[in-house]
Amino acid sequence: MAESNSIGIKIQNLRKRYGEGDTAVDALKGVDMQVGPGEVVGLVGPSGSGKSTLLKCLGAVIEPTAGKMTLGHDVIYDDGWKIPDLRALRRDKIGFVFQAPYLIPFLDITDNVALLPMLAGRPNAEARKRALALLHELDIGHRANAMPSQLSGGEQQRVSIARALINQPPVILADEPTAPLDSNRALAVIRILNQMAQQYQTAIIVVTHDEKIIPTFKRIYHIRDGKTYEEPGEGKSFL
Amino acid sequence: MISLAGRDIIHSWGKFVLTGFGLGLLIGVTLSMAGIYRGMVDDAKVMLDNTGADLWVVQQGTQGPYAESSSLYDDIYRSLLDMPGVLRAANVTYLNMQVNHGGHDVSAMVVGVMPGEPGTPGHPLYLIAGRHITRSHYEAVADINTGFQLGEHIQIRRNLYTVVGLTRRMVSYNGDPMVFIPLKDAQQAQFLKDNDALIQQRRRNADNPAFNRPQTPDLVDALNASQSTNTYVNAVLLQTKPDVFPEEVAESIRRWKRLQVYTRPQMEAIMFNKLIDKSAKQIALFLVILAIVSATIVAFIIYTLTMGKTREIAVLKLIGTPNRTIAGMIMQQSIGLGVIGFVVGKITATFWAPIFPKYVLLEPADALRGFIAVVLICALASLLAIRAALKIDPAEAISG
Amino acid sequence: MKARTLALISVVVALLAVFVFVNFRSGPFAAIRVTVASVEKRAIAPALFGIGTVEAQYTYKIGPTVASRVKHIAVQVGDLIHAGQVLGEMDPVDLDDRINAQKANRQRVASAVQAAEAQVQDGIARLQHANAQLQRYQKLLTTHAISQETVDIKRQEQRIAQAGLAADRANLDVAHRDLARVEADVKGALQQRSNQQLIAPADGLVVARDADPGTTLVAGQAVLIVIDPNSLWINARFDQLRASGLRAGLSARIALRSQAEQTFAGSVLRLEPLADAVTEETLAKVVFDDIPDPLPLVGELAEVTVALPMHSAVPVINKASVQRIDNRLGVWRVDDGELRFAPVTLGAEDLEGSVEILTGLNQGDQVVVYSERALNTRSRIAIVEQLAGVSP
Repeated sequence: MAESNSIGIKIQNLRKRYGEGDTAVDALKGVDMQVGPGEVVGLVGPSGSGKSTLLKCLGAVIEPTAGKMTLGHDVIYDDGWKIPDLRALRRDKIGFVFQAPYLIPFLDITDNVALLPMLAGRPNAEARKRALALLHELDIGHRANAMPSQLSGGEQQRVSIARALINQPPVILADEPTAPLDSNRALAVIRILNQMAQQYQTAIIVVTHDEKIIPTFKRIYHIRDGKTYEEPGEGKSFL
Repeated sequence: MISLAGRDIIHSWGKFVLTGFGLGLLIGVTLSMAGIYRGMVDDAKVMLDNTGADLWVVQQGTQGPYAESSSLYDDIYRSLLDMPGVLRAANVTYLNMQVNHGGHDVSAMVVGVMPGEPGTPGHPLYLIAGRHITRSHYEAVADINTGFQLGEHIQIRRNLYTVVGLTRRMVSYNGDPMVFIPLKDAQQAQFLKDNDALIQQRRRNADNPAFNRPQTPDLVDALNASQSTNTYVNAVLLQTKPDVFPEEVAESIRRWKRLQVYTRPQMEAIMFNKLIDKSAKQIALFLVILAIVSATIVAFIIYTLTMGKTREIAVLKLIGTPNRTIAGMIMQQSIGLGVIGFVVGKITATFWAPIFPKYVLLEPADALRGFIAVVLICALASLLAIRAALKIDPAEAISG
Repeated sequence: MKARTLALISVVVALLAVFVFVNFRSGPFAAIRVTVASVEKRAIAPALFGIGTVEAQYTYKIGPTVASRVKHIAVQVGDLIHAGQVLGEMDPVDLDDRINAQKANRQRVASAVQAAEAQVQDGIARLQHANAQLQRYQKLLTTHAISQETVDIKRQEQRIAQAGLAADRANLDVAHRDLARVEADVKGALQQRSNQQLIAPADGLVVARDADPGTTLVAGQAVLIVIDPNSLWINARFDQLRASGLRAGLSARIALRSQAEQTFAGSVLRLEPLADAVTEETLAKVVFDDIPDPLPLVGELAEVTVALPMHSAVPVINKASVQRIDNRLGVWRVDDGELRFAPVTLGAEDLEGSVEILTGLNQGDQVVVYSERALNTRSRIAIVEQLAGVSP
């Protein structure tokens, strides 16, 4: 699905207001952001900065009050307009990687990964085949029949990356993906994300305040008081 | 698409099966309660069935012999045999009493039956051991629920009876097992006073100058003899000829013999409206309450199980699982739990039913109804959980 | 994962298996458990069972013939007495005085007889004298010594003497009759005097002493009741429905209520021609072959089992098999596991519940004896050795 002329993800002047009238709070006050295909950027900011709100808007979980968002080829929001089926959009166009892996505990890891294409109506066998291939790519193919609870934290995180990748979405949102991991494993996760971003031409936004990995980003968005400020990163090698 | 419900059940089958067992015991109690209600109604029905009678002839103006006491002369049956349409007539006495068996009492209904061929009204319909009464005195056929065994001696009033036959499901309307004895013995048991009372009565008669006259020295003996005989029975059971309407025969007996006669439907109405009415309603009400409580508990169990999976449901929603799939998963699990519960409940109810002191009748139709109710209740209960699940914000999966 | 699936499947399969099992083992889908027996050909010995009380064949009620008072009684209840023994005496009150008066009266009447006899002698003498006078005067008339008138007077005198004698004779007869009456009176009074003694009419046992000295009794009221202990019998009652074949001479076993474990040999003495219409029982007298010692109590309850002659061998089943279906008597026959209702006609039965089958069954047929529930042709049955709950 990785079309070469995809623009990855682009948001313009995104605003989010909670509540009405006097008690209204502006969480996002016009955020601009663009992440191209194959690019991994960091998103850092203190608590209360609007980081969560931005992530939820990016994840099509909540709708912004105003502004425009384009994902791949599709306009998602445009000043109050939104595409009708956000859930299908999340399934097909956005991959999620969480702080905790949040795998479905009653599915083995193949089915955890294959669930998304299955939900999209793919035949089970095909979905599993793709999932298995992806797991092999992520070096956990040998545990394909294990249940999530039998895996270590790093392995689980790799499965969750596989799940995020399975539909080859234009964008992957990674929310503190390395928080519970030691620095070697954290760097390994970042390495995988970069590899995958390259391989699948996916835009990856990593929300983090993990000092171990911040230096690895080439580009970092800082968010403060509902506004983003773009800065170049150190782009340190993580190998 | 894979079955999320099935995978979840397989993953946590221990918890699932144990919950199903718990639910099953609850459903078993509910089914048993339904069985107790049915058993109560059935006790009254089999009591009527077992008489083999089409008509019950009782004392005028009474609703005997079960709901009220009734007494008739024991030679009335002969004149009833002459009535058109009457095939067979038999005297019968019923006496609720404590039968002494090995030093302790057994509540039983003692039935006095006339000797006769098999199929004579009032006789036990079938035996499970031993033989029918062949001697005209001091033999008994007992229901197995009395705990008597063949060859044992039981005491009814002043006489010892030998148990010669055992039968089953021959019970009175309140579930007491029946003991069949020859009619003449039963008449004696019913009316003959205890020895002390007899002696006191004789002394009273002897002390009464009106009875103890010097000119007629035998008068007091005659009086004593007449006071200790009994020529009464409680009812006459009639079988009608196959080609007549029992009601017509009943009407002509009412009109010409001046006796009260009840047909089978009338007798059933008396049984249900007068005898077991209140206790049956009591059980029925309790059954309804129990069903409501069970339904509530099922709903809570399903709700709690679902709420324990909030995070997974949020993740499923976040990664784009349609509501339909999530709702389907919850409902399937709920119904699956219900089915396991029903099966366990039916098994347990069947296993513990014989332990109950009174008859518990588990009807397949009731079981089917129960099954449908369980499935419906589980489906309804899952709606509550589904509603809660659909309210879960997919954003919960995202930290912050 | 595979193991879990297997475990779950095995639990579910086990549950379903138990579920199916319980559904087919109880409730209306369950097969009805029955026991069967084959019809066997054998002879049965029918017997009749009756109940009765011990009574004495001969009972003597001894009492005064006239209203009188008891003077003394010489025997107590339980005493054995002999024929002719004086058992007691009634108080004669004034009977002796009346006898003395009667006797005096007799003497008076006897004297009157003597007087009448003397009168007759006197009359005879008068008549003889008159006859003699008449003959003398008639001779004198032939000699015309006297007149005819004088002879007529003498003839009249002779007739008067004749009539006087007849009157005297009649008087004597009256006196004799009077004496006979008075003597009968005296005899009667003496007889009455001797009846005041209560005398045993036969050998026997005193079973009741209903009056004590001083009691005044009406004529016919018993003072003592004496029975003949050798004549004890059972007045037995047999239900008419089950009394066919009962006749005199059949041997019987008698069980007394006080000695239920022991039975005594006896026989039917006679069948009473009168049956009890109210209780619908046939009455019979059953006597002991040997009177038990100690004597059975009169009035004690006794059970009598009368053995009827042995029948010839025919197909026999337990009567518990026999059912009435659609107004026909029959049994449930088992043919290759199928139930079939076979109408039968019944013959004699014995007290152990066996009944002869006259028609409808052959030797070796399998018939249902006991069943858990009433059967019909669609019933599924499971044949067992013994039904649940029955101790072996």
